[in-house]
Parts: sequence; C-alpha cells; structure tokens
Amino acid sequence: MLARHAEDLFWTGRYLERAEDTARMLDVTYHGLLEGGSTDAASAWHLLLEALHLAHPFHSRHESVSPRAVAEFLVCDLAQPSSIVAAIARARENARNVREHLSTELWDAVNTCFLELRARDLQAEVGGQPHELYREIRTRCQTIAGACAETMPRGDPWRFLLLGRLIERAEMTCRMLRARSSRRAVRSGFHDFLLVLNSVSAFEAYTREHGADIDPARVISFLLLAPDFPRSVLYCVRGTDKVLEQLDAGAPSARARRTLGRIRAELEYQDPEELRAFGERGVLDRAQAGIWEVAERVEESFFASGPQPQRHIFGSA
Amino acid sequence: MPGDRLPGYQRAAGFDEAITPELGIRSHYGAVFEELERLTGEDLASRERLRDAIFRRLGITFAVYGDASGAERTWPMDLVPRILPASEWGPIERGLAQRIKALNLFLEDLYVGERTALRDRIVPSWLVYSSEGFVREAVGLPAPHGTRCMVAGIDLVRDYDGTFRVLEDNLRTPSGISYVLQNRAALTRVLPRLSERHRIRPVHQYGSSLLAALHSLAPRASADGPRVVVMTPGIWNSAYFEHAFLAQQMGAELCEGRDLVVEDQVVYMRTTRGLERVDVIYRRVDDAFVDPALFRPDSVLGVPGLISALRAGNVSIANSLGCGVADDKAIYPFVPAMIRYYLNEEPILPNVETYLLWERDQREHALSRLDQLVVKPVAASGGYGIVMGPQATADQLEICRKEIELNPRGYIAQELVQLSSHPTFVDGRLEARHIDLRPFVLTGARTEVFPGGLTRVALRRGSFVVNSSQGGGSKDTWVLEDC
Repeated sequence: MLARHAEDLFWTGRYLERAEDTARMLDVTYHGLLEGGSTDAASAWHLLLEALHLAHPFHSRHESVSPRAVAEFLVCDLAQPSSIVAAIARARENARNVREHLSTELWDAVNTCFLELRARDLQAEVGGQPHELYREIRTRCQTIAGACAETMPRGDPWRFLLLGRLIERAEMTCRMLRARSSRRAVRSGFHDFLLVLNSVSAFEAYTREHGADIDPARVISFLLLAPDFPRSVLYCVRGTDKVLEQLDAGAPSARARRTLGRIRAELEYQDPEELRAFGERGVLDRAQAGIWEVAERVEESFFASGPQPQRHIFGSA
Repeated sequence: MPGDRLPGYQRAAGFDEAITPELGIRSHYGAVFEELERLTGEDLASRERLRDAIFRRLGITFAVYGDASGAERTWPMDLVPRILPASEWGPIERGLAQRIKALNLFLEDLYVGERTALRDRIVPSWLVYSSEGFVREAVGLPAPHGTRCMVAGIDLVRDYDGTFRVLEDNLRTPSGISYVLQNRAALTRVLPRLSERHRIRPVHQYGSSLLAALHSLAPRASADGPRVVVMTPGIWNSAYFEHAFLAQQMGAELCEGRDLVVEDQVVYMRTTRGLERVDVIYRRVDDAFVDPALFRPDSVLGVPGLISALRAGNVSIANSLGCGVADDKAIYPFVPAMIRYYLNEEPILPNVETYLLWERDQREHALSRLDQLVVKPVAASGGYGIVMGPQATADQLEICRKEIELNPRGYIAQELVQLSSHPTFVDGRLEARHIDLRPFVLTGARTEVFPGGLTRVALRRGSFVVNSSQGGGSKDTWVLEDC
C-alpha cells in the first residue's frame, strides 16, 4: 500500500488510542479522588499529565493544577494538539485521507465519534458531571475498535491501524508506570495504586490474578509483564512484534524488530521477585526508550519512501 | 387528480416530468405518488432527518467554493425520485453512445490521426488550434482502443415539448457518478416502499465496470493483472469524496501526485515496500496539473515526467490528455456534423440551438437578443461565468456585450431552454423545480451508458442553476426495466 496511507492509518490508530486512554484516565482520576483515600490529589493529577507526556506544556500555561484546568486542557483545548478533541479531529482527518482503505462501518464509527463530540458542549460537561462524557468518548473509541476488529480484512491497512494503537498503548502504560514509580518512594498507598490499575482498566484482571491485595510492586509487575492482559507492556510489545512480522515482506522491518526483540526478551524473562528486590526503574526506562526507538524505526522502514512527513509527535507541544 | 400532497401544485413553465398539463399524474409516477401520499408531515420530516444522518455519517458532504468558513454541506437529495420509463431511456442510451463514439473518433483523428475532419472542413481547424483544451503535448500519445474519453458526463436538458437535448459535453474529469450510487442507496433506506413496486435498472455495478474499462487500457500484460490507481488533487478538492469512493469501489490506491514518481519513463507509486509499478492512472486532476515538468512548474499536484512515460507507452491515463478540445463549447455546435461524418448516422440527440459569435451574422443576431439568450464562456464548466439573459441586469448585459466583441472566440450564445421541472419537496410540500440530467458514459474496449445518471435540481423557485457548487440539489434517478 502507499507509504503515505500507511502513515495516516498508523497515526489514526495512535490518535484513537490516545483519546480513549485519556478519557479513561480522566474519568478514573477524577472520580477516584472524589471517592477519597488517596494520599495526594495534586500528585495524582500531575501523574496523569506525566503519563500523557504533557506535564511541561500544561505547566507552561497554568500556574497550578486544578481538576477543572487539567480536564479542560486534556479534553476541549483544540490548540493543545494532544487533547481529546484534537486527537479525534486528527484521527478523523487521517481516516478521511485513507477513506477508501476503511470499511464503511469503520469510517462511520470514526466519523460519528467526531460529529457527536463536536455537537456536545464540552466545557459545560467537563465542569459539570463529566462521567457521561468520558464514558461516551471511551465507548465511541471502543466502537471504532470493534468495527475495526470485526469488519476490516487482516491486510496491511488493518495492521498499520493496529500497530499505531499498540505502540501508543505500550508507551502510555510505560509512562504511567514510570511516573508513579518515581513517586513511590515518597508516598503512595493502596488508593494510589488502585487508581493506577483503574486508569488502564486493569483492576478486575489484577484481582483475578492476585486477589484484591493491591501491592505496589505487584501492580507494577502486573502492568509490565502480564502476558494475557491487553494493556500490559509485554502484551503490547508481543502484539507489535507479531504485526511487524506479518508486515515484513523482506528486510524493511528488521531493525524495528531487532529493537523490539531486546525489550521483549527483557520482559519475557523478567523474574518478578528480582523486579521487587532491585526496583523496576531500570526495566521501565529501557522499555520506554525501546518503544520510542521502535516507533522511529517503523517510520523509517515503512513511511520513508512516501512524501516527506509532517507529523505532530505527542507531547512536543 | 393529485392527492393531498399536491394541492395547489403549480406547474412551472415548460415540461413537467411527473404531472400532465391537466394536473394528472403521469402513469409511470403513479405508484410513487401513491406511496408519498401515505406519509404524514411528521413521517416526512423524520425521513428527511434520516436521509441527512445517512449522508453526514458517510461523510457525503461537499465544500462550497467561495465559502470562507470552509463549511461542508450535506448532500441535498430530494426524496421524490425522477423516473425514466424504458421507452424514454432507449433513445437517450443510443444517442449518448453514438455521440461518445463520434467524439472519441474526433479526438483520435486530432491527436494521432490525419485530422481528416479538419481537412474535410467538418470542424474549422482554427477553432481547434485556438482551443484551450487542445494539448499539443498530447499529439502522438497512444490511446488503447482509441479510447481517449473513457468517462464522459453529458448534460441533457428537456425542452418544453419533452425533447431531450444535449446542453454540454463534459469529457475531461466529469464528476457526479458517486452521488448517483449514493442517492440510490440512500433512497432505498429512507423510503424502501417507494422502490418496492418497481423494477429499477441497477447502478451499483459502476465500480466494477470502471475497473474493467481501466484494465482494458493497460499498456502491458502482467501476471497479477494491471495495477490501477486513482489520481486525485487531494482532500481539499470538492470532488474528493468521489475520488475516494471510486478508489474504494475498485480496490485501487488513491494517489496524489506526490505518491507517484517516474523513473526511466516508468511510473511507480511509493509504497511501504518501496516503489511499485503503475499501469493505468484514472486521473481526476486537470490536464494542466498532470505533469509539472511540461505544464505548470509551480504545481505540486502532478507527477514530473508523467508525459514521457505516457509517450513511451509504459502507462495509460484516463481520460487522455487533451479531451478538453472536444468539450470546448465552441466545438460543441459541430458535434452533430461529426456524428454524420465519422459514423454516417443521423444524430439521435439534438443540440441546443447555438450561435457562433465569431461569425458576424450570428454575432449581430445574438447581440440584438442578448437579453433572451444564455452566454457561456467556452472553456469553463460547473456553471461558472454563465450569463442568463432574462435575469441579467442592463449593466451585466453591457459588460457581456463588450467581452463578446473583444473576444468572440471566447463565448457562445444559446437559446434559453425552458428546463423541464419535477415535483420536489420544499418545506413539506411538493413544488415544481427545474431539473437537468447528467448521464455517464464509460468507454473501454466498448461503450456503456449507465442507466439514469445524476438528476440535478435548481432548488430556488424559477431558477435554472442546477450546479451543486452553486446550491443545486439532486434526485435519485430511476430507469425502469422494460416490462
């Protein structure tokens, strides 16, 4: 397929994942804090901004962290290229560029998501009872994912969409864990790690595995290493590798897969006890750097023969 | 007599497609009006909402040039279909096939033939050589099967006595076929019972017919079939939806100029697996933008070197370069003569009476009746630059007169055709609105006329302006099977 189209699909996947994850994190953080028990509300919001790689752009515009300011910044600020409205608008714009590669049902889902969001009074909802809005965004994105899973043939367009989603998601989980891990030594308790789990919809999955004992080290190792949970770093890394393998007609993705192989090997053979004993910091740093590198290699390998790219890298605002 | 939905229906001047002068319903419209009468006002409003939702969800909107906000309008399809019985469609079908055959022969004659039509004074050669649409760089370029105009959209209007006439030929990159397909799909979803009682000739096969036509133009045989791409100016083009739709219908890549590259006179596209060879380009980019190396160095829409690849016979392009000479409005008056000359047949579809403004007698006649005629620039399309005599102000007519005297080759004048009208929903009531018809003709190894075409509607009362870029609407257009 055309390199330019592959790139548009890849970024459609990334933007959609971004929007869904942001909505979920906002929903969980906002209501989790209201439910009480967390040690430090400000650091929970800061953590969210860091997980989205947006702490710096936020602080350059706002003096202090308030739930309202963070929510407006992350939901309805069109000038903020990583906000949900901007991400959905870009996803739709990219999808429109590759309209002919999408099933009509998938396009319908993307377009409807954009139109629905545009028709709502976001400022008012964010300042009022935002749960319905966050839920709506999340389910719209999941409808898109469903249409993608159930109506797209398993060809390259589907693979590039999936690749964008998986890379974005791996990065997101990784960043969130790093942000939390850097604060762990200071003060974090049960409620903070409950927030972490809920932020990636992992609470039920975790408790089924470990019971409701929310142990920080175990939470981190679960989100890093759970082989069967679709938002763990290892799961996303494996998925990415599989997609790259299928995309590989010869040499092009070899470099991306080499990088991926290193992260994957470290995660696959990680001993959770060692992780607990020596700390997760090094593993997280290497995993995140590795995922960044994979994204770069994907760009080089598949999009480079296309016309010169003009892309916004998340968090570079 | 018409039922409740039509009380006070006022026929417009001219031919009404559905209603007789005695205010009876023409027989082929009987079942449709019977169904429409069943709808309450609320039913109708909810169907219109559903229609809008369908078009909006599918992204069937179009940009309006000159609208600074960049707003997109939902495609305006009226809920009353236009119906053509087989007996009316037959002559149109034959007439269009005949016309396109002659036009392709004319183009082939001009670009690779001996120009016998010019030699034999069928068409004045000075008109050809002074036409903006005559592309010197296309002389000698091969066209498989002699198909230069692969997709044509011919605008037909219906005279006051019901006679179909050709208003203009669109032989370059005519658009609208995607709306034909979408109108059909939408109407069957919004008002399924309307079509239930008829046998309508289908249109959804267009994509596969288009692909077959493109394949037939491939310059070389290749093991896994020729590689076809659609070439678009990009997402900001007002017909982008159609370009994407057709690419999707055919399973072809939708390329912009920047996705294609020419090396050693072979066209490639830039893919995730490197460069891949392209055999046939269905281009929806104007001639002047196809190859910046030859035409417009400042354009980023085209592919440098494309002409050399065409010349080498390594790629085919449809429509061919230079088709615009045959839809130049100054050439149009000569099409009936071409039909007689090349095919030795009488034209089935008549032209609209046209005055050649470079001929002194005709010019003087036209200038004396300017307020009754329609004046059109010869090279424009989409309704741009047209002066409608009866509606023009004295100042506009004076400017028009001066322009004609300054550049008589640049314009033609035509008798105003009293366009036919059709019952159309306006605020829940049926009112007469003027319409035209753009059928599409596809020529690969053979010529195929698609049943129906795009019926465009002038939504303002009494207006004759049907162009969607200027606020026109549309109708699903049914050709009934012969029963």
